[in-house]
Amino acid sequence: MKAFYSLLAACALMLAACSDNKPVELYNTKAALPSSPKYNLDGLKVITSFVNKTKGTASTLYGNDLALKAAIEGNKIIAAKEVFTLVTWKQQDDDHWFGAKIPSDVESVEVIKTASSGNNVAVNYEQLEGRNLDLKTDTSGQAERIKYILGQKPSVLP
Amino acid sequence: MILFLGFVGIQFVRPDVPNPPVTGDLEVPADVKAIVQRACYDCHSNNTNLRWYDKIVPVYWGVASHIKDGRADLNFSEWNKLAPADQKAKLWESINQIISGAMPLPSYTAVHTEAKVSPADLGVLKNYLASMVHNKPADTAAINAADKQYQHWEKNETAIAKLPTAANGIAYIPDYKNWQPISTTERFDNNTLRVIFGNDIAVKAIKENNIHPWPNGAIFAKVAWAQLQDKDGTTHTGEFKQVEYMIKDDKKYASTYGWGWARFKTPKMVPYGGANVLFTNECMNCHKPMAAEDFVFTLPIKH
Ligand code: HEC
Ligand code: HEC
Repeated sequence: MKAFYSLLAACALMLAACSDNKPVELYNTKAALPSSPKYNLDGLKVITSFVNKTKGTASTLYGNDLALKAAIEGNKIIAAKEVFTLVTWKQQDDDHWFGAKIPSDVESVEVIKTASSGNNVAVNYEQLEGRNLDLKTDTSGQAERIKYILGQKPSVLP
Repeated sequence: MILFLGFVGIQFVRPDVPNPPVTGDLEVPADVKAIVQRACYDCHSNNTNLRWYDKIVPVYWGVASHIKDGRADLNFSEWNKLAPADQKAKLWESINQIISGAMPLPSYTAVHTEAKVSPADLGVLKNYLASMVHNKPADTAAINAADKQYQHWEKNETAIAKLPTAANGIAYIPDYKNWQPISTTERFDNNTLRVIFGNDIAVKAIKENNIHPWPNGAIFAKVAWAQLQDKDGTTHTGEFKQVEYMIKDDKKYASTYGWGWARFKTPKMVPYGGANVLFTNECMNCHKPMAAEDFVFTLPIKH
């Protein structure tokens, strides 16, 4: 009979174990991007995603249909009306999975837009920095960043 | 009294819990093994140690079925039957089940308090797993495999005429790549990179703060690639490994937590699980600790 009571006690404990209410976190609020007229990800597709383990950053490169097509063809020809957007986040440990890292605070949003100008194609580059996505005014190193972004090989998405 | 007699009577009705031979036991450092043996072996090994209170029916029925289920999914006594990559995956899954409080089963530790995993024990397990993570630039084999696959894909040679279907009737959805990414993950436990896409219904639900629970019709697609690390520390997506779907329908998929599950491997989109519909148990077991979040791990990123 004693065993029967310890059984009942065990059942009660089981029920108790199921009803502890931990607060549920639903969004990655740290990594959220503030809205800004300077960039727009709506309708853009994923070109590729990469991480830098030394810097502890995660990046996703987005593009419109023309940009994706050009990237798959190796960006050998730059045509007008392509939009590339590279978003870079700091990384954080994934609280839900020991063994994973997920995006944390936004570090930068880089936008490349191409437009025809006469017989040429103009490539416009802008970098937005930090939490508030302020426009970076120092324009040195832009050519390198353009080369880097256009040099990214798309991810295989069959 | 009748209850009590019945209680005594059913003591003679008991399913068998034999201890089959150990074919190849878990091989890990002694301190790690001691913790796993103490906390997990009663249900996940062939060395089940049934104490007197486990032998009282109906406790026994519960215990016997736990041992059967536990052994079927994970058996540390038949460790040699798993490929090295699968052994590693089971260890990472195990530590995550411990962290989330799902394992050892709380109904079991309520009685067997000595099986509880203490914070110090957890530290030992975490350090061991962390010591198995190595970052090194990709070797030529990995680079070549990725290049070969890329060339096929780039030339559109991977397009599939007839949509492959998993054993539970869920077909591969080719449109996932046009959906919006809702997050990304670097998985250093298995050296992959992942992008999680959401369909229009999922993305709308995120915008409207309507994801608890997720609305019917929401679909996630999670893509995994091998990691390809270059010399300057950037890790790119290498070979495409698989795409996995979760399709929300609380009626149609009521028996599988309200989600339809499917995984398709390689660019040929080979359905995981073959003809065996029980593959969904694997998905559900690992997603179960996220029950309070509607079984979804990913925290979507709003923009
Ligand atoms: C009292 C029995 C019991 C004990 C003790 C126990 N488990 Fe389990 N375990 C189960 C059962 C039963 C399942 C099947 C799924 C379920 O019912 O949740 C399971 C499932 C699992 C799974 C998922 C298997 C898969 O691949 O689908 C993992 C991982 C796991 N257990 C790890 C552990 C670890 C690690 C420990 C020790 C720290 C442990 N378990 C202790 C009974 C137990
Ligand atoms: C070993 C544990 C494990 C198993 C088994 C597993 N998953 Fe997951 N799943 C995860 C984790 C962890 C995430 C979070 C994203 C990431 O880091 O990969 C996830 C995320 C997902 C997502 C994105 C939505 C979300 O919940 O975050 C889908 C879709 C998914 N899994 C489908 C499946 C399917 C289908 C199966 C079975 C064929 C499966 N999973 C089996 C661990 C697992």
